Amino acid sequence: MRIQVRRTGGFAGIERCAEVDTSGRPDAAEWHALADQAVAAGGSAPPAGVPDGFRYEITVDGKTVYCADPRLTEEQRKLISRVLKEGA
Amino acid sequence: MTTNGGSEPVFCTIVPPHILNTLARHEDPAVSGPAQHTLLLDAENRTRRSLAAEYGLRAAPAVRAPSDQPLRTIYDAEHRTALPGTKVRAEGSEPGRDASVNRAYAGLGATFDLYLKAYQRHSIDGDGLPLDATVHYDEGYNNAFWDGKQMVFGDGDGEIFVDFTHSIDVIGHELTHGVTQHTANLTYYGQPGALNESMSDVFGSLIKQYSLGQTAAEADWLIGAGLLAPSVSGTALRSMKSPGSAYDDDVLGKDPQPATMDGYVRTGRDNGGVHINSGIPNHAFYIVATTLGGNAWERAGQIWYDVLTGGELKEKAFFDDFAQLTVATAKERYGDGEELQAVLKAWERVGVPITPRARL
Repeated sequence: MRIQVRRTGGFAGIERCAEVDTSGRPDAAEWHALADQAVAAGGSAPPAGVPDGFRYEITVDGKTVYCADPRLTEEQRKLISRVLKEGA
Repeated sequence: MTTNGGSEPVFCTIVPPHILNTLARHEDPAVSGPAQHTLLLDAENRTRRSLAAEYGLRAAPAVRAPSDQPLRTIYDAEHRTALPGTKVRAEGSEPGRDASVNRAYAGLGATFDLYLKAYQRHSIDGDGLPLDATVHYDEGYNNAFWDGKQMVFGDGDGEIFVDFTHSIDVIGHELTHGVTQHTANLTYYGQPGALNESMSDVFGSLIKQYSLGQTAAEADWLIGAGLLAPSVSGTALRSMKSPGSAYDDDVLGKDPQPATMDGYVRTGRDNGGVHINSGIPNHAFYIVATTLGGNAWERAGQIWYDVLTGGELKEKAFFDDFAQLTVATAKERYGDGEELQAVLKAWERVGVPITPRARL
């Protein structure tokens, strides 16, 4: 499973992208569960969000969903944080 | 020019929004109440505002005149994301041990001061709205935002950003999103979105200049000076004096802001580049302020404030709509003098035409 996160907006307007490929990872099952929940709660179009709030695109195996701060689910927040931290 | 193809709000509830809309209009408050509540919770910021206005949910205006003193409350999210968090400082209380709390409190006060003393505006809604802010949002959170009701500040990760309360213009920037929301309500996408961002940078910078007693010539015209961690190559996040020059770093990349329409960036990201193209109206304001000299919040700021709050600026205004109104306002307020000439020169220099544009 390939999990990509793109973060745009924010006060600084600086974009960040990262990707995690779970194949061969010992914690792959955990990633898959988290990604499935995060995608299920995402929207099919970018939400309006709030001024200076981060906007996120989460792409899992080619399917993209959208969400924005501060209205993230716990799973979305956790997934985004982990991908941006651990991803390449 | 971009087209203004704003994104649709997303409803995350099971009940479709049109049904909620019908329920929210129901005569029986037992029916309409929960539906209104759900709509308010689930709609994104702009939708939430328009619904609130439509259903008359906004607080009734105060009968008495609003106070000349701010009513500040600071909350601590304790590194979680529930808002507003735990109340840690109320209006009039002494500074505590948490520097973020004290900086947020002081920044709210400085913002209240500029709007009241320079423009006779009582708080962000003009009617004494209490000012709320939350610090220590999330862990190592590299952002600050306005959620439609309050300000939220992250601590920064220490690698790229430090605590967002460090910069007084950031505090002024966030609160000015509130002023814009209560006045012109510029759509946060494309050119009106870049204007919305620019209003926040302009008045954020003016709040800093006013609090430091700096003239236009003395001001640094930077947004977010002191926010970048020591290892980052840059002085700030944006420069109104020289858009595009604020930072150039291995990790962050280069400041992408244009100063003129030649460099206008067409993109769907960042709500149509709201933090990028704001460099153009930002630079126009800088030119007006430095051409006129003296305190930027006086004549230059007054013209911008009049346009933002005057009722003629449309929610979906483009740069040239805004420019046209600044010209009319300069003429109205100051006659055919140096103020008008400075405004005309500024828009010419940044490449925004000031003649009315026919629109299909």
